[in-house]
Amino acid sequence: MIWFLLALHAVVVVAIAFLGRPLGRASLWLAAVPMAVTAAWSATRLGSGDVITAGFQWVPGLDVAIEFRVDAMGALLSVLVSGIGALVCVYAYGYFSPSATSIGRFAATLLAFSTAMVGLVWANSVWTLFIFWELTSITSFLLVGFKHTDPVARTAARRALVITAAGGLSLLAGFVLFVDAAGTALLSEITPITGATANAAAILILVAAATKSAQFPFHVWLPGAMAAPTPVSAYLHSATMVKAGVILVAVIAPAFGDTDVWKPLGLSFGLATMVWGAVGALRHVDAKLILAWGTVSQLGLLITLLAVGTPKATFAAISILVAHAVFKAALFMVVGEVDVRTGTRNINELSGLRRSMPITFAVAVISGASMAGIPPLLGFPAKEAAIEAALGLSGTEFLVVGGLIIGGSVLTVAYTTRLLLGMFGSSEPMADRDVAARRPAMSAPEVILAAASVAGFVALGWVTGIVRPAVVTVAPKAEVYSLLRWPGLTDAFLTSVAVVAVGLVVGVLLARRHVVSGPVARGAANVDWTIDGVGRLARQVAGRVQHGSLPLYLATTVLVVCVAAVPFVGQIDGDSLYWWDNRAEAVLVLMIVAAAISATQVSSRLGAALVLGGVGFSVAGLFVAHGAPDLVLTQLLVETVIVVGFVVGLGRLATTFPIATRLWTAGRLVIAVAMGTAVAVALAGSASNTVGEAPVRELARTAQDDGGGKNVVNVILTDTRALDTFGEVIVLMVVAVGILTLSTKRGRRKVAR
Amino acid sequence: MIARTSPIVSLAVRAVTPIALVVAAYVLFAGHNQPGGGFAAGLMLGAIIVLRTVAGLQEPRHATVWLSIGGVIAGVVAIAPMFWGEPLLDQVVVTWDVPVLGTVKTGSALLFDLGVVAIVVGLVIALLDGLDATSLVDRVRSSPSDDRNDRGAAA
Repeated sequence: MIWFLLALHAVVVVAIAFLGRPLGRASLWLAAVPMAVTAAWSATRLGSGDVITAGFQWVPGLDVAIEFRVDAMGALLSVLVSGIGALVCVYAYGYFSPSATSIGRFAATLLAFSTAMVGLVWANSVWTLFIFWELTSITSFLLVGFKHTDPVARTAARRALVITAAGGLSLLAGFVLFVDAAGTALLSEITPITGATANAAAILILVAAATKSAQFPFHVWLPGAMAAPTPVSAYLHSATMVKAGVILVAVIAPAFGDTDVWKPLGLSFGLATMVWGAVGALRHVDAKLILAWGTVSQLGLLITLLAVGTPKATFAAISILVAHAVFKAALFMVVGEVDVRTGTRNINELSGLRRSMPITFAVAVISGASMAGIPPLLGFPAKEAAIEAALGLSGTEFLVVGGLIIGGSVLTVAYTTRLLLGMFGSSEPMADRDVAARRPAMSAPEVILAAASVAGFVALGWVTGIVRPAVVTVAPKAEVYSLLRWPGLTDAFLTSVAVVAVGLVVGVLLARRHVVSGPVARGAANVDWTIDGVGRLARQVAGRVQHGSLPLYLATTVLVVCVAAVPFVGQIDGDSLYWWDNRAEAVLVLMIVAAAISATQVSSRLGAALVLGGVGFSVAGLFVAHGAPDLVLTQLLVETVIVVGFVVGLGRLATTFPIATRLWTAGRLVIAVAMGTAVAVALAGSASNTVGEAPVRELARTAQDDGGGKNVVNVILTDTRALDTFGEVIVLMVVAVGILTLSTKRGRRKVAR
Repeated sequence: MIARTSPIVSLAVRAVTPIALVVAAYVLFAGHNQPGGGFAAGLMLGAIIVLRTVAGLQEPRHATVWLSIGGVIAGVVAIAPMFWGEPLLDQVVVTWDVPVLGTVKTGSALLFDLGVVAIVVGLVIALLDGLDATSLVDRVRSSPSDDRNDRGAAA
């Protein structure tokens, strides 16, 4: 079933990619099908104790396997991912106007993202997880940059990609260390690990999770990503992708919980993000940005709870994750609808929407109240569990973590109040704007999600029944906890009441205060400056290094060869050197030297080419003297082709060489002598150091027995070392393609003689 | 370029062509047991193509076709063993009896060499094409600079 669902996703992605243009907005319905099927199937697995696995060995030598595992956690997360995905498809159908273009591209990318996300939540080996993690980065880059003609969207997409891809590298390094320390790549076989390697892996993996889940200071990409169409924000930036880091932390926490760095680093990320995100949400006037910053804050809370690591905190974290996915997606949809129907998202300009958009208003209030943790909504018991977990801490931890969680909750209530008052507070109709007609395709998913927030509270026992088994997969001791509809007059409940009361007051006060515009995103600007700076630097360096002068390239190469030859000097064993095997060699070498020197003295280019050919043929003679007929044959043929090629090519150039200055001649002399010396030294050095017996016999035997040929050289080329030959052949092809490209690009320009 | 204008050169190249083809084929097949092989055979074909181009008997065309054919053959031969669970580039030796030649022992290495031949030929053609050999030959024949060259040589 796992393969079937993933294949279904892939097939539909390809289908939409090809049919998207004629289908237009209908492709969104098509994209919703695999998501709905996946959500339905996952729903049947909810809370189930048994596990479905699928997988195969991918690179057996490295023990890299593709492994999937659908347990209670995987099913819960894929219900969220695919279910909200399907709703977002419906919503997007209403969001885009019928005349909008590139909807096929949008639907295909959205479904591709959904596929990656489902693969991520089902992954059972770290390598599988890593692959789908990177896929979500890439597809989300495409979605954020969907309006690719808009420079703001492009910059935001690039920023998101650079930050999350950097996190991906960190994740890869972290996983390599993790597998080294844990001895397994399977997430289902995790055991606690400690030690230096485990610490390093913990840091790397936490940083990766922080980039993906927009933790301070990596959060800067998330508000920028609001340049994406709102369906994307509702899906990626509330319910799914930003949760990937949280999910990663949740599933891998059992391994790292005991390391020294895990908890402090996780808490630092989480707490800083929670507070800073909430402050950001209070400062902005764009409703979508308020939600984005609110998401940052909520993600901080989730990471904090997971870093605390008590079973109760983990239970609270997963409960909030579920509640958050439901209410935040609904709120984003509300903001998107307000944007589409009124043309603005600025809370200063919006007013009177209570009357003109009653359904949207109801959805916003329900979801907002769920976010603030007010009963009778799903957010309340989840938040209650978090506050209970915070009160359960002791000592400094209680003061710092508990205090900040409670403070963060106050701020959450405050920014929710401010957002709702700002959007729906005044009852006067908007003076300068008309409110467009309602679009049912937008309302329906909103209503479903708002109803889910209510139903979740009504059927809280059922919700507990699906959340608890999921939590148990990562924290077995959590099986004693439940989500409570009415906790009684406990400390936690009284704290909650106080939190809501203070938050409401702060929110109302802040809503009264008129803020003209939100703060400038300085962090994002810094990231952009850095990215641009790297690009500028690269261009400058490339400009210097790739100067285009062939003699200088050659001189650089020769210089490197000379430096590389230096270590060989000490290895030359003078006693093992002798002049020749055969007198003929002396004659041939004299011929080669004479030809080479005359090549430098001939003034005509054709003459030089012919003399160089003489060098080549004399070398072939050397091979004859050594009894290497294969080399002779090849050398003769190569020389022939080269000489004729030279003759053809020389027709393009003047018949004689230009007259060089004395300095230039001297420079070339130095380079030539240095190269000759370097090669001679390297050869003498390596020839002096033969280790063991020459492998001739062994090669001759394998050539006969395995290769089925008597010509050892050729059997080596085509069989024993065939991979090398294959590589060389590919190099030849690349060279040929390069020649063709260069010559065609120059457009057969006639070169002056 | 004397080749275009000289019937002797033209005829000689024409006459040599089939011989060179046979020799190239021989070198290719002999490669496994005697000097030769794909690279040498390809160069031999390449040399004859260069001569024919210089003599104006053909134009250096379809380099990409040769390259693609060679690349596909070499690639398929390289990957094919993996479908039978063998390592990359594993070699299969076949022995069969051919009426005239007697027992012939050959293998997939021969196919691989065939790919090498095609790639080398493609490379040579690409070089000739890159040097724009044809137009050069034409230009040399039609331009008066021949005389100048001859004078220079005489002097």
